[in-house]
Amino acid sequence: MSRIEQFQYDNRIVRAFGMASFIFGIVGMLVGLILAFQLIYPALNLSQYGIPITTFGRLRPLHTNAVIFAFVGNGIFMGVYYSLQRLLKARMFSDTLSWIHFWGWQVIILCAAVSLPMGITTSSEYAELAWPIDLLITLIWVVFGINMFATIIKRRENHLYVAIWFYIATWITVAVLHIVRSFELPYSLFGSYTLFSGVQDALVQWWYGHNAVAFFLTTPYLGMMYYFLPKAANRPVYSYKLSIIHFWALIFIYIWAGPHHLLYSSMPDWVQSLGTVFSIMLIAPSWGGMLNGLLTLRGAWDRVRQDPVLKFMVVAVTAYGMATFEGPMLSIKSVNAISHFTDWTIAHVHVGALGWNGFLTFGVLYWLWPRMYRTELFSVKLANIHFWTGTLGILFYAVPMYWAGWTQSLMWKEFTPEGTLAWGNFLDTVTQIIPLYAMRAFGGTLFFTGTIIGVYNLWKTASQGNFLANEAAEAPARVPHLAPAAGDHWHKWIEQRPIQMLIFSAIAISIGGIVQIFPMVFIESQVPKISSVMPYTPLELSGRDIYIREGCVGCHSQQVRPFRSETERYGEYSKSGEYIYDRPFLWGSKRTGPDLMREGGKYPDSWHYNHMIDPRSMSPGSIMPQYPQLADNQLDLSLLPAKITALRKLGTPYPKDFENKAIGEARAQAKRIANSLKEQGIKDEGMEDKEMMAIIAYLQRLGTDIKAQKTN
Amino acid sequence: MKFAKYLFIFLLMGWGATLWGQTVETAAAAPAAEQLPRLMTYVLAITGAVLFIVAMFYVVTVNQFLYKRVLDLEAAKSGVTLPDETPLAAAPAGESFLTTLRKKYWEDAVPIDREEEILSHHDFDGIRELDNRLPPWWVNMFILTIIWAVFYMYYYHWGGNGPSSSEEYKMEIEQAKKQQSIALAGKANAVDESNVTALTESSDLGEGELIFKNTCAACHGPKGEGTVGPNMTDEYWIHGGGIKNIFKVIKYGVPDKGMISWQSQLSAGDMQKVGSYILTLQGTNPPNPKAPQGEIWKEEATPVDSTGTK
Repeated sequence: MSRIEQFQYDNRIVRAFGMASFIFGIVGMLVGLILAFQLIYPALNLSQYGIPITTFGRLRPLHTNAVIFAFVGNGIFMGVYYSLQRLLKARMFSDTLSWIHFWGWQVIILCAAVSLPMGITTSSEYAELAWPIDLLITLIWVVFGINMFATIIKRRENHLYVAIWFYIATWITVAVLHIVRSFELPYSLFGSYTLFSGVQDALVQWWYGHNAVAFFLTTPYLGMMYYFLPKAANRPVYSYKLSIIHFWALIFIYIWAGPHHLLYSSMPDWVQSLGTVFSIMLIAPSWGGMLNGLLTLRGAWDRVRQDPVLKFMVVAVTAYGMATFEGPMLSIKSVNAISHFTDWTIAHVHVGALGWNGFLTFGVLYWLWPRMYRTELFSVKLANIHFWTGTLGILFYAVPMYWAGWTQSLMWKEFTPEGTLAWGNFLDTVTQIIPLYAMRAFGGTLFFTGTIIGVYNLWKTASQGNFLANEAAEAPARVPHLAPAAGDHWHKWIEQRPIQMLIFSAIAISIGGIVQIFPMVFIESQVPKISSVMPYTPLELSGRDIYIREGCVGCHSQQVRPFRSETERYGEYSKSGEYIYDRPFLWGSKRTGPDLMREGGKYPDSWHYNHMIDPRSMSPGSIMPQYPQLADNQLDLSLLPAKITALRKLGTPYPKDFENKAIGEARAQAKRIANSLKEQGIKDEGMEDKEMMAIIAYLQRLGTDIKAQKTN
Repeated sequence: MKFAKYLFIFLLMGWGATLWGQTVETAAAAPAAEQLPRLMTYVLAITGAVLFIVAMFYVVTVNQFLYKRVLDLEAAKSGVTLPDETPLAAAPAGESFLTTLRKKYWEDAVPIDREEEILSHHDFDGIRELDNRLPPWWVNMFILTIIWAVFYMYYYHWGGNGPSSSEEYKMEIEQAKKQQSIALAGKANAVDESNVTALTESSDLGEGELIFKNTCAACHGPKGEGTVGPNMTDEYWIHGGGIKNIFKVIKYGVPDKGMISWQSQLSAGDMQKVGSYILTLQGTNPPNPKAPQGEIWKEEATPVDSTGTK
C-alpha cells in the first residue's frame, strides 16, 4: 500500500468561473431580450438616432457569443476545474496557469463585447471574432490544455472517469475546429479574408458551427452531467457499458453531421446526404447520454421532487433528449425544406441553450455554492420559483417560435391555383408572426427573471456562508498498474492512458471532417465553374465589407434553394459556381428578411437609398433597422489596395497592379451611382463620397452574373 | 444454419427497401391532382419502410426465439440435451415468456435491490458505476438508424434512382405547370396590358383602394398626392395615363426612375383593381400635392375601348 498524500483542491478558481458564468449569463440573456424586443419595436435599434452599435445585426453575434462562450464557456470551466481535481485526486497542476486561463478568457470576452458592436466581425457564425482575438483564443485554449493534461499526468487516480473522456475529446476537438475555422489572411489590424471561398467556406463553417454546438455546448456538459448528477442524486451511474459505447459513437458520428445546415443549398448532394444520414445515426449516441443521466436517477425520483438541484438537472437532460431528437428530424431533407431559414431553428437552439445548458448550469451552481461556502442554500423556495419561471420561460419561448416558423414557412410556400405566390410580398409573412415574436419576448423575460432570482439566491447563500478556498483532501499516491486485472473490461486499458485517449479521440473526430472537406477543397470538379461569374469591383467589395460589418447576414440569406416557391419569389436557384469569389460566404441561416441572392437590379438605386435611410418609407410595416448613417459616413477606401492584394494571394484573379487602380475605379463607380440617384430625384449633397454608394453597388451586383450569361 | 438465417433477414430487408423505393417512384408518376404533397409521400414512404424493416426484424428474431423454445421443450420431453447455440436465449427458470421477450428486445435493467451484483468496486470521488446491459431497445434503434443510413445512401447515390435536388426541382416545376394549366383552363383569357379595362364596381374599387394603401401609398402618398413617386391625382402622366398604361407601369415597373415591378407580388386581377382605383383619384385635389410631372394625358390618344371610366 502506498503512502497517503495530503493535498488541497483549489475552489477559488471554480468560484471565479462560476461567477463569470452567471454574470455573463445575465449579460448574454439581456442582449437576447433586447433583440427579441427589437423585432417587435424596430425603433429600439436606435440607429435612427445615429447610434449604429445597437442595431440587431451588430447585437446578434454579441448575444450568441456571450451565451455560448461567456455563459456556457465559463460554466464549462467551472465544472471542469471542480470535477477534474476531485476525479483525479489532485489539485490543478498550476494555479498560475489556472488564473492565466481565467483572466485570458475574460479578456477575450471583453474584446468580443467591444469589437462585435463596433462591426468588427468575420460574419462566420460563432467564429465572428477578428483574427488577433482568434490568436488569443488559441493561446488561452492551449494554456487550459496544458493545465488539464498536466493535472491528469500527476493524478492519484489510476483510471480516468467517463467525465474526463468527454473533457479530453472536448479539448482536442475545439482546438482542431477553432484552428481550421481561423485559417484566414489578414489585410489589416482587424480585417482578414478566409482561406476558403464560397461553397468550401460554407462547408468549413458548418463543420465548425455544428461541432461548436457538439463539442462546446454538448460534450463538456455531458462530462459535467456524469459528475454532478450522480453526486447530487447520490446514485451510481446506470451503465458503464453505455458510457463507453455512447461516448465513442457520439464523438465519431457528430463531426459528420455539419452539412445538415446546408440541405438544398448549392452544396453537392453527396455532402448533404452524408449530413442527413449521420444526423439520423446520431440519435442513439446522443440519447445514450440522456439515458445514462435519467436512469441514474432510478431509486431517487422521490428526491427529485424535493431537491431543486435535481429538478434543474432532470429538465436539462430531458431538454437535451428533445433537442437531440429534433435535430436529426430537422436533418431530414423534406423536414428541413420547411424548417430551414425560419424561427423553427431558433426554437430548436433555445430548447438546447435555455434547457440543456442553462438549466444544467443552474443545477450545478445550486449544488456547488452551498458546498464551497459551507452552508445551506439560502432559499429552496426561491430556487423552486427560479425553476418554474425558467421552465415556463422555455415553454413561452419555444412554442410561439415553433408556431411562427411553421406559419411563415407555409406562407412562403403557398401558391394560388393560378400559380402565383399567395403571399408575394415577403413582408406579409413577417407581419403575420409579429404577435408570436411578442410572446417569445415574454418567454425570454420570464427566463431572464428566473436567472436574476437565481443569482440573488446564490449571492445570499454566499454571504451567509464562509468560503473554503482550499479544500483539504488525501489519497494514496498512484501506483501505475498497467496490466489489466482478470475480468476487466477491455476499455479499462485506455482509461489508464490519457495520451492514447487524446490520440484516439483526435482520430475519431478527424475522419468525418477529412472525408467531407478534402474533396471539396482539392477536387475542382466539385464546384463547377461558371464563366460569367467575375470578381467584385473595388466598390462592390467595399460594400460587401459594410454588409458584413452591419451584420446583414443575420437576417438576410443569400441562397435560393431549388424550390418553386423560392425561384418564383427570388429568381433562379443558386449555383455553387456563383460563390467562388465570396470570402466569406454569406448564405446566412435565418430569413427574418427576404433572401438577397438575386437582389441586383430588382429595385432602382433610389429605392435602396430611401429604404436604407428608413425601410418603412418603402415597405410600411418592415421591422428592419434604419441605416441613415450610411448616407452620412464617409466612404473609407484606404484599405482597398491591401484587400485586393490579400484576395489575389488567396486566388481571386484581379489583374496585375489592380490594387493601385482600385481606389480610382471605386470612386468612378460611386460617382456613377450618385448620378443615377440624382436622375431618380435624390438630391443629397456629396453622395458620391458616402458609404451608401458602396452598399448600393454591392446590392445591385448580387446574383446578376448569372443573368448576364443568360441574356448573352 | 446461422448464415442462412441472416441471409433471410437481409433479403427481407432488401425487399422492404425496394418496396419503399417503388412507393416513392409511383407517387412521382401519379397524376398531379390525385397526389399527396411530395413531402407527405416521402414522410409516409420513409415511415412505412422503417416500420416495415423494424417489423420484419422483429418477426424474424421472434420466430427464431420461438423456434428455440420449441426445440427446448421438445428436448426436455425426450430427455435429449441440445448444444446451446445462443446461451442468451435460454431463459432462467421462473421467468415468464413475456418477461424474457421484454428483456431480450426492450429493457433489461438489473433491479435496484439487486444492483450490488453489478456495482463497480471502485469509486471516483464517491461516484460508483453499475454495469447494466445496454438498453436493448436503444441498441436496436441504433442499428436501425445505421441500416436506414446505408439504404439512404444506396437509394440516392450508390445505385438507387433517388432524385437529386435539381431533378426534384424539375419534377416540382413540371407538376406545377400542369396544375396551373388546369386552374387557368376554365377561366377567360388572363388579364394583361393589351386587354385590361377599368373596373367600376365599388367592391373592386374598394379592394383596389386597400391594395393602394398597403403597397402604393408609401411612395405615392396615402391620398395619391405624390411623395417620392409622382402625383396620381392630377392630369399629368410621365408614362401615359389610362388603365392600360397604368397597368403596364404597375406590372413591369420603371426601374430607372424608382418604380418597381409588382407582377410577382400582385396578381393580374389585383393590378387591374388597383389601377382602376388610381383612375378614380383623378381631380380629387388632396392637400400637399406634388408638382405635376410628365405631360397632360389626352383621352383621345388611347384606343376607344379603354376610356370608359375616370
